[in-house]
Amino acid sequence: MAEKEPKILSFLCNWCSYGAADLAGVSRMEYPSNIRVIRIPCTGRMSVKFILAAFRQGADAVWVSG
Amino acid sequence: MDESKCIACGACTEKCPKKVVDTYNAGLAKRKAIYVEYPQAVPLKYRIDPEECIYLTKGKCGTCKKKCPVDAIDYDQKPENVTLDVGSVILAPGFEPFSPAGLDNYQYASHPNVVTALEFERLLSASGPTHGHVARPSDGKDPKKIAWFQCVGSRDMNRCDNAYCSSVCCMYAIKEAVIAKEHAGDDLDCSIFFMDMRTHGKEFERFYDNAKNKSGVKFIRSRVHTITPLQDTGDLELRYVTEDGALKTDVFDMVVLSVGMQIPAELVSLSNKLGINLTPGNFCDTGTFTPVETSRPGIFVSGAFQGPKDIPQAVVDSSAASAAAAELLSGVRNTRTKEKELVPEMNVLGDRPKIGVFICQCGINIAGVVNVPKVVEYAASLPYVEFATDKLFACSQDAQDSMVDLIAEKGLNRIVMAACTPKTHEPLFQETLTNAGLNKYLFEMTNIRNQNSWVHKNNPELATEKAKDLVRMAIAKVAMQEPLKETELDVNQTALVIGGGIAGMASASSLAKQGYTTHLVEKGSRLGGQANNLFHTAKGESIPEKLAEMVKDIESNDRIKLHLNTELSNVDGFVGNFVSTLSSNGNEETLDHGIAVVATGASPYTPSEYSYGSDDRIITSLDLDKKLMAGDPALKKLNGALFIQCVGSREPERMYCSRVCCTHSIENAIELKEINPDMNVYVLYRDIRTYGEKELLYKKARQLGVIFIRFSIDNKPVVKTENGKLTVTVTDHVLQLPMELEVDLVTLATAIIPNTDEKLANFFKVAINQDGFFIEKHAKLGPSEFPTDGVYLCGMAHYPKPIDESIAHAKAAAARAVTLLARQKIFSSGTIAQVDQANCAACGVCVSICPYSAPSYAEKGRFAGKAEVNPALCKGCGLCVASCRSGAIHLKGFDTDQILTQIFEMDEAV
Repeated sequence: MAEKEPKILSFLCNWCSYGAADLAGVSRMEYPSNIRVIRIPCTGRMSVKFILAAFRQGADAVWVSG
Repeated sequence: MDESKCIACGACTEKCPKKVVDTYNAGLAKRKAIYVEYPQAVPLKYRIDPEECIYLTKGKCGTCKKKCPVDAIDYDQKPENVTLDVGSVILAPGFEPFSPAGLDNYQYASHPNVVTALEFERLLSASGPTHGHVARPSDGKDPKKIAWFQCVGSRDMNRCDNAYCSSVCCMYAIKEAVIAKEHAGDDLDCSIFFMDMRTHGKEFERFYDNAKNKSGVKFIRSRVHTITPLQDTGDLELRYVTEDGALKTDVFDMVVLSVGMQIPAELVSLSNKLGINLTPGNFCDTGTFTPVETSRPGIFVSGAFQGPKDIPQAVVDSSAASAAAAELLSGVRNTRTKEKELVPEMNVLGDRPKIGVFICQCGINIAGVVNVPKVVEYAASLPYVEFATDKLFACSQDAQDSMVDLIAEKGLNRIVMAACTPKTHEPLFQETLTNAGLNKYLFEMTNIRNQNSWVHKNNPELATEKAKDLVRMAIAKVAMQEPLKETELDVNQTALVIGGGIAGMASASSLAKQGYTTHLVEKGSRLGGQANNLFHTAKGESIPEKLAEMVKDIESNDRIKLHLNTELSNVDGFVGNFVSTLSSNGNEETLDHGIAVVATGASPYTPSEYSYGSDDRIITSLDLDKKLMAGDPALKKLNGALFIQCVGSREPERMYCSRVCCTHSIENAIELKEINPDMNVYVLYRDIRTYGEKELLYKKARQLGVIFIRFSIDNKPVVKTENGKLTVTVTDHVLQLPMELEVDLVTLATAIIPNTDEKLANFFKVAINQDGFFIEKHAKLGPSEFPTDGVYLCGMAHYPKPIDESIAHAKAAAARAVTLLARQKIFSSGTIAQVDQANCAACGVCVSICPYSAPSYAEKGRFAGKAEVNPALCKGCGLCVASCRSGAIHLKGFDTDQILTQIFEMDEAV
């Protein structure tokens, strides 16, 4: 891995992307570990506040998926 | 494999030395002898392939038993015979894809680049052997030209015995071509070789049109005779004859055979054993008015065994079969239900959080990568954590029991579980909380297996850091969690069915037979709807006779309250508690009901084309049915009769196929030929869509001498009356020359158009598509219900369909409704939105934005006019919460503060 890895915070919809992330595990895929997942009930729950808070907290990228 | 022990860790598969062909991936990949069929399998449990396992075949090896951390491997398991006492049986055994291995002209058995559509499906799939990247099997090269051959193993009596149409292959071939082009980009050339393009399903015609005109998929009307492999290149040469008779040669990188469905031989012998009748194509024989009943009472059928069909139709059938079984068994419903004893819930409201953290090792699945003791030690150091420990397998019964004890012993009032995924295990752990007398929402699960140890197995240190972060985030969140309540709601046990046609009657009849008082509302003065205009079914049953039986059945059923000449003028309430106003001749009455079935049907299109209305020899299909029903003697004297198909259907302004007209015209063409074999009967068509075993009618019509002439949408036939002569001019597709046909009768196969009812749509807050039909909950998996809870859909209000499909749909809607009615009470989820009305500005954004109509304005009380959320309707998506400009709405369990605290705790340097 490179010296500096971006910190990624992701908001995953419980019904699709969160399940897909589980499936990636069942399929034993590998990806870098610099990602933290927050499970949300639907991307409808997503608010700009959360994205701004994440950047303020030092996240380099925010990924919303649903 | 002892399924109760298997934790699906995969250690067995990893070490199993035996590689075998992966049948799930259509033989395109390898798997192990101990395996899970596919990653999404539910329940996720591994199994041993007894024909391949080295231990079971040779008595040596035993590696998996040694590797299994929970001792789940049991080589001594034997097949068991279990005897069950049941009141009815539903057959849903499915089909097998036709094997093209015997067709040597297509080279399937000998050439790797000739694949079946099922194999291609796996190549397109993200979970398939190529991760969704289409690579040519022979050399892994990206194909530039792919051809699909339709009707391989269908509509074919020369190379196989399957005379029927498999119904699904046209649509799946188009789908595969479109997806392949989406993946590979525009330079991928996709050609589909077909006889008739059969896109008769809902939204399918539009998909076909877009595939042709937007995606650039080529459609070539030709049956390719032979594939010749070009030596060493892996390429395939096709020779075919185009519509105008020209011989063409073209080279493709791959050929996909669109194989049909067939009934396996063992199913035929099972059917013989069960004593049920089969059709000529070996499908289960059913009647048009009893579409899920086999010939043996009490045995029902669903899915492709009843006839080739796609997913929505199979889903409809399966619900319909369950309704048919439930009609028989409704008297014993709930007689074997056991009640669970509940532990009283502790009141922890206002108590300081005392969090218990459990870190699951999952054998070596988590502990083999993540340093679990370090995570436990770290968790114990965090605020509000009273106690932290690890568990070898947190989901095992002894671990669950010890959690219950620990909750009492340590006085824990919040629990964090760091383990696998909440998608599968949250309910299990929540039940443990309930057993310990703790509100089940005082719980947070974080995923350190599927989304951590399994995907970062080569970075144990980073995975451990991530686990710590995830645990810290979960602890911060659960500390802010409150006990939540699940609101209980009674379900009114009365049903309302709107529409007294075939579908409405069948649905009402099923609901009544299942024990529910049902109100059947029909706006007209008699029952039967469009079926009153129909002569006989594709299977030859008399519709007037059967319809009369259905009407009698409705009128004589005490549980059915019939409301003729009645319409709905208002609907209030929501799932389980609707209040509708019925209006009849100026009189209004209100009706309380728990569910509603919408069966408002469709109508025939009145044509303006083909000189309709100018001459009484130009009639519609329904007019001809009337003449046939009346036994009109003039029909026998006709010298020539002609049918024109797709009148008003498959046009730019009505981009859908009316599904029934090809079969209807062909039935009537046969009828005319049988009345007078010397009559010249012509059918002018664009594609003949006699799907399933209706294809046999098409074959019979041709055998009887009915002449089929194809025309294209930009060169339609012209109907003229001059000097008393009725002539039709059409360009013959074989001769490519205009032909003039003099006939005595022209029958226009007119479109079926929806009875678009926007008022009703507004009453129940359901949507209508661009063609005017109601939109179901899910095109594939929810075809008989609306997204609005407690409201169901069936018949032609959904899409044009023949009687058997309408009745199956009607029973399906009844089955879906009974899943709600039978519960008698429903519980809302605890994780729902709640309005802090003091802060509500009454702007109405939540009311307008909610897809489930959960928020509304409070009618009375201190906060009248402010928003309130109906807990029974709220699905907890949080859309209203995110859109509330006053911050007045809170989503329990996912409140803004809770998500923000997770963000704040995301990356605390340790």
